[in-house]
Amino acid sequence: MKEFAEWLSATGPSVFIKTHQAWLIPSIQTLHIVGIGVILGSVFMLNLRILGWAGQDLSLRQAHDRFGPWIVGALWLLALTGLLLIVGEPVRELVTFSFWAKMALVAVGAVAVIGFGRMLRRHEPQWGDALARRPGVRAAALATFAVWLAVIVLGRLIAYDHVWGPLSPAARY
Amino acid sequence: MDIQSILEALDASGLSKAIRDSLFLFPMLEAVHVMGLALVFGTILAVDLRLLGLAWSDRPVSKVAGEGLKWTWAAFALAVLTGALMFTTNAEVYFHNTPFRLKMLMMALAGLNMVVFHFVTQRSMDRWDQGVAPPAGAKIAAVLSLALWVGVIGAGRWIGFTVTRAADVAPPPADVNFDDFLGGADPAAAPPSVDVNTAAPAEAPGG
Repeated sequence: MKEFAEWLSATGPSVFIKTHQAWLIPSIQTLHIVGIGVILGSVFMLNLRILGWAGQDLSLRQAHDRFGPWIVGALWLLALTGLLLIVGEPVRELVTFSFWAKMALVAVGAVAVIGFGRMLRRHEPQWGDALARRPGVRAAALATFAVWLAVIVLGRLIAYDHVWGPLSPAARY
Repeated sequence: MDIQSILEALDASGLSKAIRDSLFLFPMLEAVHVMGLALVFGTILAVDLRLLGLAWSDRPVSKVAGEGLKWTWAAFALAVLTGALMFTTNAEVYFHNTPFRLKMLMMALAGLNMVVFHFVTQRSMDRWDQGVAPPAGAKIAAVLSLALWVGVIGAGRWIGFTVTRAADVAPPPADVNFDDFLGGADPAAAPPSVDVNTAAPAEAPGG
């Protein structure tokens, strides 16, 4: 991975981002934070609806359809800006424990959010709002929110990978 | 008590030192700060998008605003608390840092924008709460809000690239030789003691 990161570092796009890193990197990071803001805000509002704390005048399906497209759009924004950040600083991103743990949790969080939408579409006619009263669904909603919070923590820890001690691949080089 | 002595007192406080000395506290404060601001931004964005007619036009403005904004304040409190704790670790430097000042200015303007919207624009809200596009004043408030909050995030990120974190103790070099520490190390080879104000950053700037 370190060899790959170093190879990527030498490619044209990476050199371009590094040449302009003083303003490009913080700008891309800002858009990246905007994206996670949209996801966290949307998952939070959807959780409030599932737990019965807000938006009770809307059906579960309606509540989901309000935020679903924004979550998917934000995932694309995060993927794009995240990719640019990797290209710009390959070693800083890829040669860390935090980054790969974060990617694993992003996969879990994305599957949970998209899977919930699919489940709603399939079962809503039979179950309707009873879905939101199932303890399993409520627990899954809270767990999904916790996963996205953990994604934020791990994202920040990419800059502090030494906190993982021997787990950090940087410790091996 | 002038501002300079307040800043110096903050820098010298036990809380400030405890955060500086910890490997985990500062990164965790940053992480919780991002959680708070992500929720602040996300919940405000929902109202701004509704005012601009870009989302949920069939839902009353009052409902879109009412369901999210009380949580905005809780998240904002979390961001202020974690931000204040980070500030104390290097108060004098942050206070004189341009991106930091810009961030505070933009937050103040965002607050002013909110006050004007609340006490002026919103008074006619029953006429455009639902079914009608909000007036130009509401749309201007939404654009200002979006621009200022994205600016706040950007300035916050910029702080991280202009302030190297103060550290009381320099981190050990990656290739530290434990034998030197544990048995009969040559005192002359020991790393020099590090001054608080010139200490090496715990991580690369911009971390």
